[in-house]
Amino acid sequence: MTTRSNYKAYASTMMNVFSPAQCQELVYAAEEAMWRTGTDFHDKESLEILKKAGCWVDGKRVRIPAHITERALQTCQKHIVLCNSRTGARELFVEGNNAYFGSGPCTPFTRNPFTNERHRATRQSVGWATKVLDALPNIDYAMSLGIVQDVPLLISDRHEFEQQILNTDKPIITVCVDQWGQEDCIKMAEIVAGGEEELRRNPFICLYAEPISPGVHCREAAQKLVMGAKKGLPTIYTPCIMAGGTAPATMAGVMVQGLCESLSGLVLSQCTREGAPFIMGGVYTILDMGSTIFSYGAPELHLLLAGLADVAHYLNIPMFGTAGCTDSCIIDEQAGIEAALSIAMTNMSGANLNHDTGYSEYGTTSNLDLVVIADEILGMARRLTKGIKVDEETLALDVIEKVGPGGRFGEEEHTKKHMEENYVPRLINRAAREIFEKAGGKTLTQVANEKVRDIINYHEPAPLPKDVAAKIREIVENAVGHMPGEDE
Amino acid sequence: MASFEDLSKQVITGNQVKVKEVTQALIDEGSAPLDIINLGLIAGMNIVGSRFKNGEMFVPEVLMAAKSMSAGIEIVKPLIADKDMPSIGKVLLGTVKGDLHDIGKNLVGMMLESGGFTVINMGIDISPEQFIKAVKEHNPDILAMSALLTTTMLHMKDTIELLKEEGLHNKVKVIVGGAPISQDFADEVGADGFAPDAASAVDLCKKLLS
Repeated sequence: MTTRSNYKAYASTMMNVFSPAQCQELVYAAEEAMWRTGTDFHDKESLEILKKAGCWVDGKRVRIPAHITERALQTCQKHIVLCNSRTGARELFVEGNNAYFGSGPCTPFTRNPFTNERHRATRQSVGWATKVLDALPNIDYAMSLGIVQDVPLLISDRHEFEQQILNTDKPIITVCVDQWGQEDCIKMAEIVAGGEEELRRNPFICLYAEPISPGVHCREAAQKLVMGAKKGLPTIYTPCIMAGGTAPATMAGVMVQGLCESLSGLVLSQCTREGAPFIMGGVYTILDMGSTIFSYGAPELHLLLAGLADVAHYLNIPMFGTAGCTDSCIIDEQAGIEAALSIAMTNMSGANLNHDTGYSEYGTTSNLDLVVIADEILGMARRLTKGIKVDEETLALDVIEKVGPGGRFGEEEHTKKHMEENYVPRLINRAAREIFEKAGGKTLTQVANEKVRDIINYHEPAPLPKDVAAKIREIVENAVGHMPGEDE
Repeated sequence: MASFEDLSKQVITGNQVKVKEVTQALIDEGSAPLDIINLGLIAGMNIVGSRFKNGEMFVPEVLMAAKSMSAGIEIVKPLIADKDMPSIGKVLLGTVKGDLHDIGKNLVGMMLESGGFTVINMGIDISPEQFIKAVKEHNPDILAMSALLTTTMLHMKDTIELLKEEGLHNKVKVIVGGAPISQDFADEVGADGFAPDAASAVDLCKKLLS
């Protein structure tokens, strides 16, 4: 009937914030800032590595020549795969336009799904959160959704990792308090994988560090990057910057500031070990000028990160984004609006690995009801990006002709065959009013909360072999905390 | 003729040039220096404070207003004896040891200055010993400590303990803040106060000194 010539005929949902020329301009501006202004590294080893590589080191200030940045962009590993911790199956292809979603780390507080009490995160709360993440089909990986605080705080990361690995076989992104914590968590992961080589071949953990904006790489962050590169494990580097606070008020200025910090981290990683897998992270948002919060629900967050996805695609490096979170202190209409907008937009932008699903209260309190709601939003968002296929079969002229005016499409084989392409909601309510009322007239949040409780009570994650769990316990029990600022 | 109302208005709009002009005009016309500060400059800043609380003004505007108020005060200052300079109180401010995060702490500092406090901002990575030394040196009414990390917030307790050891804890009020800090935590470490954001930190300091 028709012959189709190019991708435009087949591609459906597409979204771009920046043109390729704008991406190029942003990257050049970041390279300029990295050289003209530079960034500060509060870590001796990193300073030596960067100096040896040819960067201009002046005290803590490091100015990176553009050719070193450009070389780092060439050498970093582009193809990053995260695996199942029990089977080693290669599951998340963190590259290209693939978009995966999961929770966020490090909230000091969480809301108890049974009592609705807001309290400091505990071993139990992280265990519960991981179980919920494990059970939800649209959640692809796990971050802790809380800093364990019912244990000595300096070794909370080991307890967090133990709770995570016991309760899910999905990939884990681990955020450690410092390099010593990261060393222990890698050890635990190597035990689970069956050795250092095995973990590197099929990594199920991803490491995480962040600079302090504007332009400061603290010792812990730099050390975590260096260790990740030496170990050859995927490492995310995430500037959390706010327009008008730690970056210029203009969105393009935010992009430059963020890229400057991310790419400085990339250079450190590549100068430590060429080819190290590096994931460019970002929580770019605004400083709310009324409340002074770092906003997790502002439209600028979604816009900036969709823009960053364009730059990541332009540079062909994997990206770590942010979605499914809210500034609202409870899971209400505002939470739903902010989570839905961010998930839909992020999914369309094609950012690869997206975190912070389940964050409420501008990132300070995790909420499992929101995780369950986000899982449903993700299903809807993924339906949106599947788009609409246009070809002879889907144009369905023959069916239109066969049924004719006044006919019934419901009885057609064509209808049965294609019905499944549409999204089937599990949480969203489309029931008739009487049926909705008979079922208790519950809000979406109430239904989500019931599901959370159900998962915690009845879901059984794939178990970790007993001997492996025992070895992990041993590392947790023998962990030694280091007081920040006292090991220089 | 220049008026206090006009001066207040210029502070509210954050117009540094105009604030300086009107302040100078008031001096030239013989207004009392303390009246210029209290009825003009601070009166304007008080309106800014309440507008910010009502959501009618935003942080950058508040900071611009504070900057213009300071510019006016600089002109009047030489005409007033140090002991007569109006200040609600002196606050010593810093991020605790091992922590380099300071955006929140700096916002608190700027809002306190806007609210009429004298602020000594020590910066980041301040050890308990450095805090104690500065308390002895500056004799502040309030010591304010900030932390973003659950690991570094432990240093707040160390500092308070050291204050006690040195017998200084009755001479200075201690307040704490930062994302992982809560009222419970503040109570636990023996701080006198906690505020969830920069604006309420100003209210807290005023309450503690009243």
